Amino acid sequence: MMVQAAAILGHFSASSVALRAALASASVGVAGAVLSVFVVLRRWAYLGDGIAHAGFGGIGTAVLLSIAFPALNNGPAIYLIATVFSLATALAVASISRKRAVSGDAAIGIFVAATLAWGFIAFAIHAHLGRGGPGGWEDYLLGSVNGMSSAAAALAAAMSAGIVLTVVALRRQIVLYCFDPVLAQVTGVPVGFVHYLLILLVALVIIVGMRLAGNLLVPALLVLPGAAGLRVSRSMRVVMAVAIIASVAATLAGMAVARHWEFIAPGPAIVGVLFLEFLAAHFAGGRAKSQQD
Amino acid sequence: MAYPYPAVSEPIVEICGVDFAYGQRLVLKHISMTVAGGTTVGVIGPNGAGKTTLVNLLLGLLTPTRGTVRICGMPPNAAVRRGDVVGSLPQTPRMPKGFPISVRQLVRLGLIGKLGLLGKETAADLKHVDWLLKKVGIEELADVPIGSLSGGELQRVYIARALAAQPHVLFLDEPTTGIDRAGQDQFIQFLGDLKQSLALTVILVSHDLRTVAAVCDRLACLNVTLHYHDVPGNMPRELAREMFGVDLPELRMEKSTR
Repeated sequence: MMVQAAAILGHFSASSVALRAALASASVGVAGAVLSVFVVLRRWAYLGDGIAHAGFGGIGTAVLLSIAFPALNNGPAIYLIATVFSLATALAVASISRKRAVSGDAAIGIFVAATLAWGFIAFAIHAHLGRGGPGGWEDYLLGSVNGMSSAAAALAAAMSAGIVLTVVALRRQIVLYCFDPVLAQVTGVPVGFVHYLLILLVALVIIVGMRLAGNLLVPALLVLPGAAGLRVSRSMRVVMAVAIIASVAATLAGMAVARHWEFIAPGPAIVGVLFLEFLAAHFAGGRAKSQQD
Repeated sequence: MAYPYPAVSEPIVEICGVDFAYGQRLVLKHISMTVAGGTTVGVIGPNGAGKTTLVNLLLGLLTPTRGTVRICGMPPNAAVRRGDVVGSLPQTPRMPKGFPISVRQLVRLGLIGKLGLLGKETAADLKHVDWLLKKVGIEELADVPIGSLSGGELQRVYIARALAAQPHVLFLDEPTTGIDRAGQDQFIQFLGDLKQSLALTVILVSHDLRTVAAVCDRLACLNVTLHYHDVPGNMPRELAREMFGVDLPELRMEKSTR
């Protein structure tokens, strides 16, 4: 009787871990998909990379800080420091590209290189001091389904809802800004606000998704769904719907793969599915267009 | 559908002692000009005369090095942000091929400055957009994706977009560049119609003398400084010949053929 109860409880808790992981994945999938359409239209595909790599520099910073303050050598503290570092980098990229002193493309290139270098230097210093690799940091690079707390899952869902609501409320301004920023400005859109807001929303998806798909692969969530949607339609509603469906399907499938074959990390699994979906959309879109012609 | 404003002869645009320099290079010098409500001013001048810089100053995209610009009594930035004061047609309307937006949606986006961040279009706004689509002759293309239009059609969409919020004044920067002669004639006809039905104040910047002469009440000759600002008939022959290498009677003839 006790054994049976323990087995049932064990099964229940395992499935609730799965449920939390699924909720968090689907949330990040939806928010990433909605933003990915604008990221592709605004030609910011590389921006996600830049902000995500800043997370690596952030983990490096956390690692060095943990030498001085051992209390910081735990998952939540590392995550928090990486978050602050990513947000600061996102703001710096937004500011530099806005002033047009440096093109957005170059601004991102500069920050990718600098934050990656900083991350590696920090890890090297940590190793040199004989402390080895910091605990669990590869989870941040490749993603992990283990140990997702209900608080983390709820946070992911709340952030995703916030991002989607913001985009829905400001969709007109965002669409015109992505169509042509100068045209948006002369129409009376506060383009500075929209510019910073979009970059911050992208950074938020990366920060939430980082835990899930990993720092190196989460930018794919901000490009592939939108790219797939834009291949199949010229209607914003259809593009959004395709992007969201593709993204949620890929994140759930990727998480399932990672749970089933534990040697595969969720990040690469999610991106693999997204890429297959993109290929399908690419050929379906091409065929639809040739039939129209 | 006439606009409730402005009273004819009330100054809509006031440019006062404006200089503008890109770094050390002065491209506009001592520009002063007042444009009364309901008039159509053609700003003409050779390439590099500072015409597009002037439009960018009027739109608040650039700030004068010296002097002031006022549109309906407001600095250009404030006027543009209100959304229903200034309408403008960019020199090269963008047409991103794959952008998922229809003609009607793009024209409706002309309303968002007026609506503010979270405002919603009223039924009257949407009716006005449909009226404009008909007026510029692109009604049947309303639901077509923007990427499938021709250059002439795209220009009409952009004009409808510029007028969606029922602005006081319309800035047109080289509207006939890259359009064939038949298209230019159509544009002249169509702008004349619009001016009449909307009581618009228009500033048309162009190096296409034929179009300017055909639609404008007043001319402003710009070549770094303002050489002339008056009705076309009073323009000295020598100035026209000096600036454009044409004789003025040609212009008068174009005007009288309308």
